[in-house]
Amino acid sequence: MTKKIKKIGLGLILLTVGLSSCVNLKHVNDFSSSSLKSIKKYEEINYSFKQNCLDNCQDKKINDLSLSAKDCDCRLNEKADSVTLLIYNSVRGYLDGLTNLSNNELTSYKMDALTKVLTEGDFGSIKIEKEQVEAYSKISKILLKAFTDEYRKRKIKEYVLSANEPIKVLITFLDFNLSSNLIGNFRVQKNSIEEYSFELLKDSTLSKIEKRKVIEDYYSRINKIEEKEKELVTYSKALKKIAEGHQKLVDNIETLSKDEIKELLTQYASDIQDIISEFNKLKK
Amino acid sequence: MAKLTAKQANELANNFLALAQSIGDYRYTNYDNLSKIQNQNLRESHRRILDYSDHLFTLSATLVLEDVQTSLTSIGAVTSEIKATYKTLQNVQKAINVAASVVTLGASILSKNPQAIADSIGGLVDTWNA
Repeated sequence: MTKKIKKIGLGLILLTVGLSSCVNLKHVNDFSSSSLKSIKKYEEINYSFKQNCLDNCQDKKINDLSLSAKDCDCRLNEKADSVTLLIYNSVRGYLDGLTNLSNNELTSYKMDALTKVLTEGDFGSIKIEKEQVEAYSKISKILLKAFTDEYRKRKIKEYVLSANEPIKVLITFLDFNLSSNLIGNFRVQKNSIEEYSFELLKDSTLSKIEKRKVIEDYYSRINKIEEKEKELVTYSKALKKIAEGHQKLVDNIETLSKDEIKELLTQYASDIQDIISEFNKLKK
Repeated sequence: MAKLTAKQANELANNFLALAQSIGDYRYTNYDNLSKIQNQNLRESHRRILDYSDHLFTLSATLVLEDVQTSLTSIGAVTSEIKATYKTLQNVQKAINVAASVVTLGASILSKNPQAIADSIGGLVDTWNA
């Protein structure tokens, strides 16, 4: 009977050790942490619908030679910013959670405190061998990691599947607001600047030097807007990669531990890292 | 009347912008051939259409809320579940630490040392509250 229990125990340990070695969510963690890092670049964009409204309003005041800058109505732009921020926060919250949950450190439990107490504690007549405590502690740690990692893997599968459709919709609309609507505002702004500059160049009361200054200002402002546009375009590329990577994760969710999916997700993580570097270069 | 969607507002904004650009280009090219009044009228139309386009791009960004409402709710629910699972797995470490504190308390009771017992209780409370 004792032998049978020992055999079952040994089998259980071997099984869980086997399971434990299969469950490595590092590639999921690499992908989600890179995605999180790149999505957070939104906070560095440093431009908004409201800022665009204020800039346009100021331009109009300058052209009308008016000082009353307080009557700029930017309420709709503020609303546009709050909608965009709401979407961003939701996507970030999900990626943050996925990154934390897929971190292998989460289930690397530390038994040291318990081991130390058992080996060094004074239990009166009860004698506990140090070697035995350490051996059991190691086994417990392996068993615990195996069970919790299996649980973690199962939960991640469940969450990734449930999140896929809504996350794709949210990323699409976050991208839409930034690379289609905000960039649309930029295009309008560039046209307005061109129009104002054209008018000044046709003004016969301005000297040649003043007109040169108009042209200088024109190019300087257009360049600044185009720099912002480039940031948004780069950010848009990152958003598309995240959505694509998440879909690949879902497509291969049943083979999460296979080498192909590991390679695929590592590639996505690396592509996203490249986009982050590209973004950082633009910010310099 | 059916409400304008975010995509439709964006499309209209793009159409207005294209129209404004055409008016602008026409005025820039034919400036010298147009009368002062014609120039002024075209300029005003140009600026007004640019304003419409700008407004529609911004409006489109706000209308997006209608399209994402369901997704926001779904992702919010998933995120809450992820956080709960994360907390559960974190609590395993807490349980191990509590177990160690309980064993320390047991050992101190067996040693019949009042100071050690008091210290162990303090340690257990700290671990529990961590």
